[in-house]
Amino acid sequence: MSLDWHAAAQAVVHHPLFGVGITLAVYQLSLVLYERTRWVLLQPVLVSMALLIGILLVAGLTYEEYRQSTFLLSVLLGPATVALAVPLFLNLRRIRQLFWPVLITLIIAGAFATVLGVALAWAFGAERMMLLTLAPKSVTSPIAMLVAEQIGGVAALAAVFVLITGVLGAICGPELLRRVGVRHPAAQGMALGITAHAVGTARALQDSEESGAFAALAMSLMGMLTAVILPLVVVLLV
Amino acid sequence: MLLRGLTWLVLFQLLGTALNVLFVPMLPGPIIGMLLLFGFLLVRGEVGQPISEAAAGLLRYLPLLLIPPAVGIIVYAEQIAADFWALAGALGLSLLISVVFAGWLMQKLIERQARREERS
Repeated sequence: MSLDWHAAAQAVVHHPLFGVGITLAVYQLSLVLYERTRWVLLQPVLVSMALLIGILLVAGLTYEEYRQSTFLLSVLLGPATVALAVPLFLNLRRIRQLFWPVLITLIIAGAFATVLGVALAWAFGAERMMLLTLAPKSVTSPIAMLVAEQIGGVAALAAVFVLITGVLGAICGPELLRRVGVRHPAAQGMALGITAHAVGTARALQDSEESGAFAALAMSLMGMLTAVILPLVVVLLV
Repeated sequence: MLLRGLTWLVLFQLLGTALNVLFVPMLPGPIIGMLLLFGFLLVRGEVGQPISEAAAGLLRYLPLLLIPPAVGIIVYAEQIAADFWALAGALGLSLLISVVFAGWLMQKLIERQARREERS
């Protein structure tokens, strides 16, 4: 009796749940890998992305098909973005006494980080689409992806830029801040939260509770401000 | 409880989507939903149990939700290769400069506020 292995493999690979299945499996694998090694470079999203690209290439699936079969996951991204209002509200309540320093730093340094990134990429000769994708690089990924798409960039690329920025910030940020004499935990947290979003916040939490709280606040405020202001600015300028 | 919170979150997003189409086409629906929920929390002054439960649950798996869109990068492999150095340079340099600038500015502002409070 000859079993039709090929037909079985095809049926599995093209099943509408295949995308969800491999994504769940690969994500848990990457989580374990990250927890075992605690290596900042092994960000679970980054590792999962690389592994999944490999699987898609081997299985001969197009991205379009994979995207359709992960609808179950991506449809939840919207409510998750809405849910970001909860940590923002909780963090805002925690930090009242430094309200003005936080707000001023956020607006000036946040705008500076965004403009500098775009200006440098422009000076180095990147394309217009890349510039628009690069603009929201300092904010947390769901917001960055929505905003990038809205202003004419590419959501997938924005996610990768955000990740690279975050990992780089978490690796170099604390050491760099110490070198230039920024010692106040609130200032360190703000700097990491504004520029390196969630990854920076996780790093700040390792240093101290206070630093982590400011990083979380900075991250959520920066995300919200970018989400509201950046599309408006782009509409006015372009 | 979890379902009730989830219903609220979805409701806020759908409301955001409606407002997006009606009045503010430049802001994505989920972002408007987030602003609405934030306003709602400010008015209420606290986060109810159902919403906080649903939000915590969703945000815990946020990285997982982000993976499918991130895999989309394979479609743009050529463009990335074309602009690779410009992008890497811009990301790295702007990050290093803005981390230092943000930290320095915040520290100066904290010190200034502390001095003012001493005087008064």
